Amino acid sequence: MMIPVRCFTCGKVIGNVYEVYKDRLEQGEDPGEVLDDLGIDRYCCRRMFLSHQDLIDDVMKY
Amino acid sequence: MDIEVKILKDREAKLLVSNTNPPMVNALRRVLIADVPKLAIEDIEFHLGTIGDEMEDKEYESSAPLFDEIIAHRLGMLPIPTDLELFDFRDRCDECEGEGCPNCTIIYSLNKKGPCTVYSGDLIPVGENDLRPVDDLIPLVKLDDTQALLIYATAELGTAKQHAKWQPTNGVAYKYYPEIEIDQDSCNLCGECVESCPKEVLDIEDEELIIADLEGCKFCSLCEEVCAPGAIDVSGREDKFILTFETDGSLTSEEVLKEGLQILKGKFDEIAEMSESI
Ligand SMILES: [Zn+2]
Ligand SMILES: [Zn+2]
Repeated sequence: MMIPVRCFTCGKVIGNVYEVYKDRLEQGEDPGEVLDDLGIDRYCCRRMFLSHQDLIDDVMKY
Repeated sequence: MDIEVKILKDREAKLLVSNTNPPMVNALRRVLIADVPKLAIEDIEFHLGTIGDEMEDKEYESSAPLFDEIIAHRLGMLPIPTDLELFDFRDRCDECEGEGCPNCTIIYSLNKKGPCTVYSGDLIPVGENDLRPVDDLIPLVKLDDTQALLIYATAELGTAKQHAKWQPTNGVAYKYYPEIEIDQDSCNLCGECVESCPKEVLDIEDEELIIADLEGCKFCSLCEEVCAPGAIDVSGREDKFILTFETDGSLTSEEVLKEGLQILKGKFDEIAEMSESI
């Protein structure tokens, strides 16, 4: 759906960098390197990005 | 208890705590998590029914692809800038006795018409302008061209004992200060320990095994295991600790630490007082 505001496990705010992450991925950058760069260090926070699917546009129609 | 500050950035801190013991460091850790108050959005009023736009002569539905509860929950998670000197707990406010006033609450309005993505930065504080949410690019919800959102949200002080949204810190952790003893006489400089360490703690320099990054050690003991002559001994000190934490931006790490130590002192004073009256 939408990216969660915070990491489920540690509570770090992650929503604030999602737009940047998405843009940089579209430009063909490596997800791991982008996350390093954005200061998403712990693996609990990293999986929030890697396992995220933006489904909001599909749900919008209904 | 002595505290030496290693790193004290806005949202990140690393401290060396010495002359103490594990229960004391853990007490500080738990105060930083659950007792330091901060502001978070608590009450939300959604406008129901249609939202008209006189300029465009168009009516919007006050619905969104996400349930109101989910939007409310997402709003609650947002870090709100907090000044602990200015704000009081709402239920203990002298000015308004819980009614809500500028001393204990911030009211935000959010008015967005689709199609758009609603971000945390779209929350406008009623009255003061320096109290916008700390990050303004957190996506909250998306709206299509027939939808609009009109919300009034009230932020108030709380602690993480009530709800995790009032937790100012995350990743609060301490570890024993590492001690690595190297027996240079039996070390054969095979370099296997240097290879095995995931944190690059050890290194070989000028024909001697040295400790390159002592504080990076996390006691995995891989170096001990691969060392054939048994020249390495890893242990942790029980009177010195490395305490690290991050904040969500509502408060700086310095503010959290100062407030936390103050609260901890208050708790100990209370216990001392009680023990005297026995
Ligand atoms: Zn995390
Ligand atoms: Zn008040």
